[in-house]
Formats: sequence, structure tokens, C-alpha cells
Amino acid sequence: MKGILIAFEGIDGSGKSTQAKLVYQWLRSKGLPVHQTEWNSSPLVRDATKFGKETKRLIPHTFHLIHAADFADRWARQIEPVLEVGGVVISDRYVYTSMARDGARGLSQNIITNTYSFARKPDITLYFDVPVEVALRRILDGRPELKYYEAGLDMQWTFDPLESYRILQTKIKTIYSDLVNSGQMISLDATKSVSEIQKHVRGIINEKIDFQGIEPVYLEDRLAEQSRGARLEWVGASENEDSD
Amino acid sequence: MIDLKGKFIVIEGPDNVGRSTHVRYLTQRLEAYGVATGEIGLLRSDLLGGMMKSHSNEAHSLNFLTRSLLYATDLYDQILNKAIPLLEAGFIIVADRYTLTPLIREEVRNGDGSWIESLYQTVPTPDVTIVLDAGPKRQLDRLLYSENLDKLNHFEAGMDMGLDASITKSFLKYQKVIRQTYKKIVEKTDNCYLISTKGRMSEVHDDIWSCVYPYLKDII
Repeated sequence: MKGILIAFEGIDGSGKSTQAKLVYQWLRSKGLPVHQTEWNSSPLVRDATKFGKETKRLIPHTFHLIHAADFADRWARQIEPVLEVGGVVISDRYVYTSMARDGARGLSQNIITNTYSFARKPDITLYFDVPVEVALRRILDGRPELKYYEAGLDMQWTFDPLESYRILQTKIKTIYSDLVNSGQMISLDATKSVSEIQKHVRGIINEKIDFQGIEPVYLEDRLAEQSRGARLEWVGASENEDSD
Repeated sequence: MIDLKGKFIVIEGPDNVGRSTHVRYLTQRLEAYGVATGEIGLLRSDLLGGMMKSHSNEAHSLNFLTRSLLYATDLYDQILNKAIPLLEAGFIIVADRYTLTPLIREEVRNGDGSWIESLYQTVPTPDVTIVLDAGPKRQLDRLLYSENLDKLNHFEAGMDMGLDASITKSFLKYQKVIRQTYKKIVEKTDNCYLISTKGRMSEVHDDIWSCVYPYLKDII
């Protein structure tokens, strides 16, 4: 298989997006051709998902399919094309997010894996493990309340958003744990500081992934890109002659 | 499977075959018998219908995976929120297109048919499916006569398949392939009938009625 695919997984507030961005910058600074993609970011589908969430119209099966549509769009436009030409893809959430979230909402793993059968397995998947209470505190530090689907209120387990959130995230974490135990993901302690975790992440990637086969971007092109927006102060020819 | 007291009728077939008209005739006749009916159809969900129709060019230029998943989302939204609750309540649901259209459209474009079928593995099976049939030239003439040629889009004419540079010739070739595929599916599907739309509207309706009536006997 060509290219390298690295996936980042974990519940909201686990810090995985921060870590994914740092890894992206790190690999980019090594001169590797690297692309980053995020869950729920395909333009047309994102609007539909937003509408479905706002109107609370999404139910587990349509929640599953619409997120798969978003992923499929990014798969076909961003992920597969980069892998095919031997690049590196950093995926902030991958198929496992659907296994965890949709599985927690009662969908069978058989349906989920069928839907996503077109997507290949990542070369490495890192799981950022954090207790539910820590993630909750991180989310609520940033905004006053939990969102409807984030808290799993669509499942009507309870009308209390905090309680519902705990139920949903605990179910999600159980599925993630199963994936870790079956060797599909590597688990990291995500309660440490950002830099400590990043150090750990880079250590694992260096150990497990061989970047030898990836052809770097030409240095000339990287330098050209970096100076593209810069203002250069040319010394005029006549001025030069005068000073000589 | 949930116990569904109602009945589920699907009317399938290509563009300009008179599908929507016959769906209307059928539901009106059923209601005349005192049966409550409900309609579903392609891109009619509150969730995605409006958006997909208003962005149809964008939607058609998506890759087949994304397009298929959006069509599936649209249909599941209608099935789970509307069709199943009404079927449980004893309604007759008439679907103006169901899973065959999104399957056939992608299969003729080399999309993975078994993957698409797997997306629909949990939808209710229709009690009876009617596929309306017309020759491509008749379809094209109907389109011209209804002054809708300007609405014939790139995708529906199969222009993306590179069959012909002319939009009308491409349409004829594309519909020929679609028609053959429908015929093959009718042969291998239970309770599925091909009905020609050559004759007058009322004759076609009578043909449809005599096909579906045996399946509805116990409720009308």
C-alpha cells in the first residue's frame, strides 16, 4: 500500500486535535508531503449535518449515514488521492469514531463496517485516553453548555444533559477500549501536558512508521513557498554601484 | 422485522415515464376506498431533500460513495421517521422511487452495487414493486412536448459517461442501458412487475391497479 495514513482518535476534549495539528507541523517541517483532514468538514455535507443537528432530526441510522457521506467525500477528494501518490495523511478522527459513536447509539458493528468498507486501515491509530470527567471539564471551560447530540440527548436515556453525556461517553469509551484491546489502536494517557503527550506521540510514530519510502518535497519548492508571502528588500542596482 | 399492518407499494422507473402521475392516481384511488396513504420518494426528506435539489449540480459531481451515502441518508430519514410509523399504523405507503434508482444509476457507472445494497440492508421490503417502462425515444419526446428539455441536466442525460457529445443522443443511449438494467432486475425480484407505458394513461393505471390489487385484498 502506498502512502502513510495516521489516525487520531478519542472522545471530545481528549486533546487529539491539538496533537494531530502538532504532528502535522512536525512532519511538514521534515519536508514530507503531508495532508491533514478533519471529521465533518466536507462543505456540502457539513451544511446538511448542521441542519439535521439544529432541527434535531437526525436519528442513529441517519446520523451514521450522513457522517459516512462526509467521510466518503473527504476520502475521495483528500485521503485516497494523497495516499495514491505516496503522501502522508493525518486524519483527525477516522472510521473508529463511527464505530464508537454509532455503536454507542445502538447500531451494529456489522452495519458500520459495511458502510465504511471502502476505507483502508490506517498504518497507525493513536487513541487519546482521558477520563470522562476530565474531558467534560475541558469542554465546559470553553463554552457554557453541552450540545444536544454531543450529550446524547437524542437517545432519551435521561433529560439531564450531564447525566446523558456521562452515559454516552462511557459507552463510547467502552468501544474504544475494545478497539485498543484488539490491537487496532495504540492508547496514550491524555491527561498529561500537551508537550509531554506530543513527545510520547512522536516517539511512537518514530518507532512504528518508516518514512524512508516517502519522497520529500523539493527543498527549492519549500523555500519558495515559505518566501511567497514575505516582503523582500531588494537593493537597487544603481544604488549598489554608488556605494561600491 | 417489525410487524407492519400496512402495505408498501413501490413505483420505480426512469425519468419521464409518468411515475409521479401514476403515484398520484394510485393514492387517490386507494383513498377512495377509505385507506389512508402516505408518500415517500427520492430526495423528499426534510433532512436532505431541499438541499440536494437546490445543489443538484454539486451533488451530481460528487464521487459515487458520497452521492450514494447522501441518497441513503435521505431515504432512511423518510423510512424511519415516516414510512415505518405509518405502516405500523396500517397506512398504505406508496414510494415514488425507492432503492432501485440509486442502485441502478451507480451500477451503470461502474459503482459497487453490492456495497450500495449493503447500505439498504435494513430497509423494509416492498409488498409489491411496479417498474414503469418506456422506450428512450418516447421518453425524450415526452420531455420535449412538456417543454422541459432545458431541464435535462448533464447527469440525467448520462453525459458524464462519455456516451455521446450530443445531450439528446447521450440521453437515448443512457436510457437504453438503464432500461435493460431495470428489466434484468424485474426478472430476478419477487413481486416485481414491469408495466409498459405505451398506452393511454387510464390503461396504464388499470394495469398498475390489477398488479397491486391482489396484495391489498385483505385491507381494502
